[in-house]
Amino acid sequence: MTAEDFALPRQTHDIFAIMARGHFISSNGTKDNMSRLYDIINQEENFPRLQAYFNVIKYNIERGNNYFYFSRINEGNSLIEKKLETFERYIDVIDLFASMDNKITIGSRFRPAEIAEECNANVRLKQKLQKIPMYRSETMLNKVRDICDLMARDSYLELEDENTESYKVLDSYNYLMDVINAISIYEESTGTDSNSSGIIYN
Amino acid sequence: MNTENVRILNRIVEINISNVKYADIELCGNTCFVGTNNFGKTSLQRAILFFYSANSRGLGIAQSQKSFEEHYFRYENSYLVYEIATEEKNFFVMVYRHNKLVFRFVDAPYDADFFFNANDEAMKIKEIISGLEKRGIYISNQIDTFERYRNIIFGTETDKQLAKFHLLKGNEKYQNIPKSITNVFLSSKNSIDSRFIKDFIANSLTTENSSIRLEQVERQLRQFNEKYTDIETFIKKETQQLIELIDKKYDQVHLLKGSQMELADKLGSSLRFAESQNEAIREASKKKEEELEILTEDHEKLISEIDNKQGNVREEIGYYDKSIRDANKRLRDYKDKNIEEAVEKNAEREKLQVEQNIARREYESLTSNVASIELKYASLLEQLRNDKMAYINTINAKTSEIFNHYNELQLLQKNEFNKRESELKTKREEAFSEVNAEVTAKQIEFNELKSDEKVIRNTRFYEAEIKNIETELAELRAISYKNKSERAIKQNMVQTLQREWEAIEAKLKTSLSNEVNRTNGEIIKIKNEIKDIESKLNVQHDAFYGFLEKNVKDWHHTIGKVVNEKLLFRTDINPELKEETLKTLYGVSLNLESVDVVSKSIEEYQFEKNERLALIRDLEEALNAFQTSNNEEKMLAADKYGKQLGEFKEDVKVLSYSLDLADKREKKLMIELEDWQMKAGGEVEQSLSGNRQRLNIVEEELTLLNKRKNNLVDDFNRQLDQLKVYSEERLQDLKSRQETEISELEVEKKNQVKEFESKEEEISKEKETNFKSKGVDSKQLKQVEMRLKEVQEALKEIDQYAQLVSDYLKDKRDIFDKLPDFIQKKEEYVKSNNELTAQAEETTRKFNLKRMELNKQKRAFDEELIEFNNGVNFYSNNFRETPVYAKYSEIIERAEAKRTNYNIMDLCTQLLKNDSHFNEEYGAFQRYVNDFSGRFRLDNHFNFIIRNDATQAEYERFAQNLRSFINENKIELSIAETATQIGLVTDSIATKVKELSGQKDKIQHIITLIAEDFKKAEFEESKLIEFIKIKIEESDNKVYKLLKRIEEFREEHGLIYNEGLFNTDFATGTKREISGRAVKLLEQLRSAIKEQEQEEIRLQDLFELKFNIKEGMNETGWTHKIDSIGSTGTDILVKAIIYITLLHVFIKESSHRSSKDFKVHCIIDEVGQISAHYLRELLKFAKNRNIMMINGLPNKSGLESHYKYTYQFRKEDSGNVRIFPSIVTEVEA
Repeated sequence: MTAEDFALPRQTHDIFAIMARGHFISSNGTKDNMSRLYDIINQEENFPRLQAYFNVIKYNIERGNNYFYFSRINEGNSLIEKKLETFERYIDVIDLFASMDNKITIGSRFRPAEIAEECNANVRLKQKLQKIPMYRSETMLNKVRDICDLMARDSYLELEDENTESYKVLDSYNYLMDVINAISIYEESTGTDSNSSGIIYN
Repeated sequence: MNTENVRILNRIVEINISNVKYADIELCGNTCFVGTNNFGKTSLQRAILFFYSANSRGLGIAQSQKSFEEHYFRYENSYLVYEIATEEKNFFVMVYRHNKLVFRFVDAPYDADFFFNANDEAMKIKEIISGLEKRGIYISNQIDTFERYRNIIFGTETDKQLAKFHLLKGNEKYQNIPKSITNVFLSSKNSIDSRFIKDFIANSLTTENSSIRLEQVERQLRQFNEKYTDIETFIKKETQQLIELIDKKYDQVHLLKGSQMELADKLGSSLRFAESQNEAIREASKKKEEELEILTEDHEKLISEIDNKQGNVREEIGYYDKSIRDANKRLRDYKDKNIEEAVEKNAEREKLQVEQNIARREYESLTSNVASIELKYASLLEQLRNDKMAYINTINAKTSEIFNHYNELQLLQKNEFNKRESELKTKREEAFSEVNAEVTAKQIEFNELKSDEKVIRNTRFYEAEIKNIETELAELRAISYKNKSERAIKQNMVQTLQREWEAIEAKLKTSLSNEVNRTNGEIIKIKNEIKDIESKLNVQHDAFYGFLEKNVKDWHHTIGKVVNEKLLFRTDINPELKEETLKTLYGVSLNLESVDVVSKSIEEYQFEKNERLALIRDLEEALNAFQTSNNEEKMLAADKYGKQLGEFKEDVKVLSYSLDLADKREKKLMIELEDWQMKAGGEVEQSLSGNRQRLNIVEEELTLLNKRKNNLVDDFNRQLDQLKVYSEERLQDLKSRQETEISELEVEKKNQVKEFESKEEEISKEKETNFKSKGVDSKQLKQVEMRLKEVQEALKEIDQYAQLVSDYLKDKRDIFDKLPDFIQKKEEYVKSNNELTAQAEETTRKFNLKRMELNKQKRAFDEELIEFNNGVNFYSNNFRETPVYAKYSEIIERAEAKRTNYNIMDLCTQLLKNDSHFNEEYGAFQRYVNDFSGRFRLDNHFNFIIRNDATQAEYERFAQNLRSFINENKIELSIAETATQIGLVTDSIATKVKELSGQKDKIQHIITLIAEDFKKAEFEESKLIEFIKIKIEESDNKVYKLLKRIEEFREEHGLIYNEGLFNTDFATGTKREISGRAVKLLEQLRSAIKEQEQEEIRLQDLFELKFNIKEGMNETGWTHKIDSIGSTGTDILVKAIIYITLLHVFIKESSHRSSKDFKVHCIIDEVGQISAHYLRELLKFAKNRNIMMINGLPNKSGLESHYKYTYQFRKEDSGNVRIFPSIVTEVEA
């Protein structure tokens, strides 16, 4: 079976190239024609074709709130664990972002300097920032920069303007929020079962 | 000295040019300059090049170097003199600086004396001119522009005086000659690459501006693409949903904010009011308390006065009551004793006395005759009677004793009864008065409670609040009514404007589409004409026309006047030239002088074609202008109507909003009113229920008291009755005993009396018998006696009641006659007592009312004070430190002191509660705005941008702007602009591509000529170069290909009027499809430009040149690059040959056919590495093409011997360069 048999859109390769790296395609992304790619996947006739095509190679397109990403069919436990580990540090980042005076939400545009400045002026935020494990970040600004850089690499943010170092929050940020919201923390039971404490990822 | 009768640049003279003081260099043959680097060889060559190009900026001077003017013309007496040899007489042109570079033509061979004075110093221009004029030599006016100079030199000047100063007669393409010469000079240093050749050809054919600046195209495309993306993003479903959400949320946020501000204002007012009223309320409350005290005091005083009065009255009533009761009792007693009869009888006493006296006297008279008998019998009778009387008296005495005894006993009994009765009655009265007092007290209380109830029922609780709300409601309803009608009017206006706008839009659209159709029709017509002309031009070479051009001189004036145009362009008529029929028409000679020429020259056809092309351009421009003006009109309409509509819509929205608000407010007020009314009702009910409870208790107590009273009455009555019965029984017993004893005595008396009476009768009878015997009328006597007896009896009876009657009469006089007075008086006192009771009740009622009112007022003040204090405390402890206070502090602090319907605590709580709700809503609003603006590019043309740290006001402004954007339908404007832009972009690309590719034919032509020239080249002699072949191929430049596709697209679809750019109302299927393709093409072009990183598309990008050169045994094959043919020398040779060929072709193409006797120079620097053999070959090759070579050599190497002139350069100690001719002899060429 070839790609032609699926009557795939021209941009299939571009879509694969982005999502196979574990990145998201967000509807409000501008780099690499991202919003167009989103529209293409989102088109009624395209989605089932792409899904069928990628399923052949054991990829599944997951649809989020204005974003798409790949998941592996029959994902191995080790992969899931790895994902969870990656995610863990985002909990603190999102906590920090959500605690800002000017809350960072989808579509927000900000500069790392602004966040660093606010953290500097607010002890609570400062502590939250310090809690985030980022190596090699000596100053607060550099740490925020590293976080933004990391998030941009993971396609949650987009560096819109390199000159002003302006980032935009992409729709994929919803993914992080959704995962956070899916976490349920429950009271430790009377038993001493080590599995029964901590957080659960739904 | 020119000896060949050809026109040529004969000499160049430098006077004070750069660091050359003077140099006179002859150039009418191959010339070479020998000198080491930096001695000025290239400068001199540039000065020669300047003669041809007259363009100080196209001489290959680097930007970092001084300009040509600065470097060459340092002094005011710096001159460059070019002497041109002609067929007849030489002339020269001098260049000097007069602010800028200027030229003057002098009709004389160059003579140094013209420029130098006796001291061998170069003169100033004025002196030179005057010197020349003195000599009578023609000197032209100053030529200010390079263009004009070139026109003169290349023979296109129309001024007759100057026309003769030409080097050659160029045609309209003469600019190619200086360009070619320049290009040869400038590219001579580069390696030989087809690209340079391409550049050479292209540069020679084009002007600086005839390239397509990709940066500009990319910018246009980027601008279009950005706008397109922005619009696409805007019209997306998700974005539209976000707009709706933002709009809705903004309203909510606005509403909440408004209500918060209102609450804050109320809070401020309440606080100020509380502060200002605190002391006043405290005072007022105190005053009310005092008033209450005074009122109670007054009331008590009044009541005690009334009580005193009532006591007195009651005493009077008691007195009269008792008197009346006693009188009645006595009356009853008298009545019981038949007092009336007794009195009646008593009244007859005197009459009876008289009657007794009469009877006594009658009896005496009758008995006077028988006095002794009478006396005897009388004494006997008297005795008897006396005995009888004594007996009767005794009996009577006994009877009366018994009677009296029993009467006494009865009296005693009666007294006892009366005493007991009065005791009981007193007791009863006491008990009664006690109960009555209680009843009265309760009744009073009952009445008070009743009047309280009445007061409560009449009191309107919370009247002020209810009235305020009612007033506000009335005002609100009035405003709402007004707003509703205003909104209806505005909605009407909106509809009307919308209709007007739509009508104008439709009109504009129709007129535009008509114009587009009309223009496209005309363009198609003209294009057909162009096609016709082009077909003629294409076939002219092989047609009869071409034949005539080649073979018949001035055919236009002969055959051209009589031949059919169609015939001229037929290719199948095989024309042949026959000498004998020349100048005849099939042997017939015609005088055609007066006949007009009908044939047209190629130039004319070209001109016609160009004219039509220009016409198309004009039409398109006109259409563009129309479209622009149409758009402008559309924009004006949009501006006018959009703004008005926007305003009206905004007004409608504001009105709807205020109506909504009013509605909500009305509902709220209604609820509040109901609340107040319920509260008032509740208050009434509460007051009433308290009152009623008390009333019920009192009523019950009253009932109990009445019961008690009745029991008391019953009890006393029973006791009285018992007493009465006992007393009556006792009396009856006594009476009956009295009567029995008396009757016994009476019977005894009767019997005794009968005895006495029988004795008396006996005596009487004896007497009568005696009388009779003595003649006395005993009958009459008896009658008298009887009558006397009766009277005596009656008197006796009267005497019996005499005492009673006398008592009665006394009582009557003293008591009974005054009884009506007593009753009257008692009634008066009762009335007055009642009046006093009523007065007391009224006073108490009034007092209670007033007390209640005062209590209520005082309670209201106290409650208000408590409420104020609680509110202020709550405000200080729980509100003042919150961020909500900080947010609204200005409003709170600035509010005027005013009473509101809300208490401070409620206001604070509500504000705090609302704020958290507001924050939630605002968060959502911000999220929507961020999400919305994040969908657009950072620098989107709608300016939908919000910073992350934007203030609330900025967010709100964003929402407002978005709302106006929607209301004013600005997206349609943007779509229209973008649609126009795509039209303009494609149009501009198409025009540029067309312009550029229009020159491709010229290139093809030039290449053909060059190929032919190569063929003609004779390399036989040396055998070194066997052949040089050149061919043209299609360009594989991706950008150009796309540009071409756009141009074709444009040609195919005409002017793209892109209303179908987006899926809006205007869009139709076909238009959308075309637009979609156009957008796709433009996008492809944009990415290709980005990928290719090319600055511009020039003529040379339109084609590929390939060479095939065979040198000896080496054949390069068809290749772009020709730098690997052989040694450097070979390369230089090949390069030079190609350049010379190019130059030759261009000169031939660009000069007038008639102008043949001229030579030009080909300046190639640095030919030092070429072998003498090659050089000779080269010079020969050039000579055959009427081209003189000017070359630079680094040093003398023998090569110079092949040139006619050789000049050497030497730098003197002063730094000046001296140029002097080297003494060599031209070997060949």
